[in-house]
Amino acid sequence: MTQTPAEESETPGVVSRRGFLASAGVVSSYVAAGVAGFAGGALTVNAAQASTPEKEAQLRAGQQSATIPFYGEYQAGIMTPLQSYGTYMAFTLNPSTTLSQARSMMQLLTDDAARLGKGKPTLPDGEPYLATEPARLTSTFGFGPGFFTKLGLQGSIPAGFTELPSFSIDKLQPEFSGGDLVIHVGADNPLTVAHAARQLSRTAHTFAEPAWSQSGFNRPQYGVASDQTGRNLFGQVDGTVNPRSAKEFDSQVWATSGPQWFRDGTCLVVRRIQMDFAGWDKLDDTKKETAMGRNLHNGAPLTGTKEFDTPDLKATYENGMPVIASFAHVRRAKTDNPAEKFLRRPLNYEDGLLPSGEPNAGLIFAAYMTDIQKQFVPVQQRLADLDLMNTWTTPIGSAVFALPPGCQPGGYIGEGLLG
Amino acid sequence: MKNSTSATKRGLSLVAVAIAALALGGCAPATPEPVTPTASDVWIKAVPELMDGMAMTGVFMTLENPSDEDIVLVGATNTTEGLTETPMEIHEVVKNDAGEMVMQMVEGGIVIPAKGSVTLKPGGYHVMYWDLLKPIPVGSHVTLTLEFSNDTTLDVDAVARDISTYAG
Ligand SMILES: [Cu+2]
Repeated sequence: MTQTPAEESETPGVVSRRGFLASAGVVSSYVAAGVAGFAGGALTVNAAQASTPEKEAQLRAGQQSATIPFYGEYQAGIMTPLQSYGTYMAFTLNPSTTLSQARSMMQLLTDDAARLGKGKPTLPDGEPYLATEPARLTSTFGFGPGFFTKLGLQGSIPAGFTELPSFSIDKLQPEFSGGDLVIHVGADNPLTVAHAARQLSRTAHTFAEPAWSQSGFNRPQYGVASDQTGRNLFGQVDGTVNPRSAKEFDSQVWATSGPQWFRDGTCLVVRRIQMDFAGWDKLDDTKKETAMGRNLHNGAPLTGTKEFDTPDLKATYENGMPVIASFAHVRRAKTDNPAEKFLRRPLNYEDGLLPSGEPNAGLIFAAYMTDIQKQFVPVQQRLADLDLMNTWTTPIGSAVFALPPGCQPGGYIGEGLLG
Repeated sequence: MKNSTSATKRGLSLVAVAIAALALGGCAPATPEPVTPTASDVWIKAVPELMDGMAMTGVFMTLENPSDEDIVLVGATNTTEGLTETPMEIHEVVKNDAGEMVMQMVEGGIVIPAKGSVTLKPGGYHVMYWDLLKPIPVGSHVTLTLEFSNDTTLDVDAVARDISTYAG
């Protein structure tokens, strides 16, 4: 265990959200940077700290130059506190791609990712100036089921890495589903994400064809008044129950058994969830809160007052009705079974307007876990069976990947499998 | 990258050994030992398949000169077995009288300024391979020896990369 759960950025003065909370001084300097607007009125107490153009420029430069180490025990971009922007890209291996070419591909992708993570261009970078603001850039790689079967590596598939069963709620579209290789790029600067995605996808393209690409965003991590989890486009606080400590990551995310190449790796489930805004708009706040089982203003369970209060599923009103309804998302997703917990790293997406006038928007649900069968499927099955949120959300894409551990300088991602 | 670094280290350690040998001999050299420039980020534009008249490519890198005097890259020799029989050339890309960008041999070689560096990149300076006898697939490696004006040489390893992979 060499990394802390919240990988601190390497740039002094720019810290992860966790580090941010630990330092009151940083809180006020972020306010000084003029980003308090994200937190509404909650930070106005600190706004007395005067902002100067010099300070703003300094902070902006610090945020944009912050780096996350690429090399390490684990791949970056999983434990890394969620960046503001991200892209998941999947590829289908060319029929002619051999094992040795797959090795080349991962070596080249590793080289590209290591350079980009430091704010350096890739070797064949035609736009090197776009690489100079890493903004906590991470690039993460994983292999879909087809990667193993096409390369004759079936024997190396981890036991818990399986395709998802088809759920009754699914309306999956091929343009958002499947894939042999996934590349996930995240950063706090959308231009950085786009440039890294282009560099990496171009490298992959020699060996594979694009299957799908999904880009999304989250609230920036700085200037936040509390440790409150991000909101989705329905305004719901989403992702409260996440591993935070190294111990929780060890038990929920990192593989500690199975094939050697997979140790310290993890599984990734990417699901594209379309939101039905026409239906959602018809609900009043009470109905919205009942569907979720959490209040809207701070995400506290309806049985509590703060976001991180544990939902009391047994609590009832005087008339005997449960406070958190049987069909509430929180009840269906909640588990006391430690074996059914996992990391959520969602992104919101917004791709313009539909002919109906409502946004073509939703959630790129990205979840990381050691074992898809044991950790993810039971929870997803409960949600599919009875979750009122299904009324306004439709899964339209789904893909699973096995992610190798990190690597050291001189090595490459996937070396245990391909070496 | 990895290999070019080790080539560089090898070059440096040879210099160190030479200096140590002189020190042991107890006589100071009349002139200081020539400095070998270092090369980093060495890559070659991949040639996935040989096409008639197109069997050529360029090598790119950053050369650094830690010494107090300018050093010139004057030549290069392929050391990859079976890759070419034709001598390599040091090239630049310039605009000709018709306004077209064309490549030509660099008169006198590429100067690496004292305590400075020079970057060879597409559209600029490069080390030219002619008459390739076999393809250079993306991700493969070629080796060559760089020759400098102070009679030093440097073995480098170039990884093959593609700069345009899109169809059409
Ligand atoms: Cu040339």
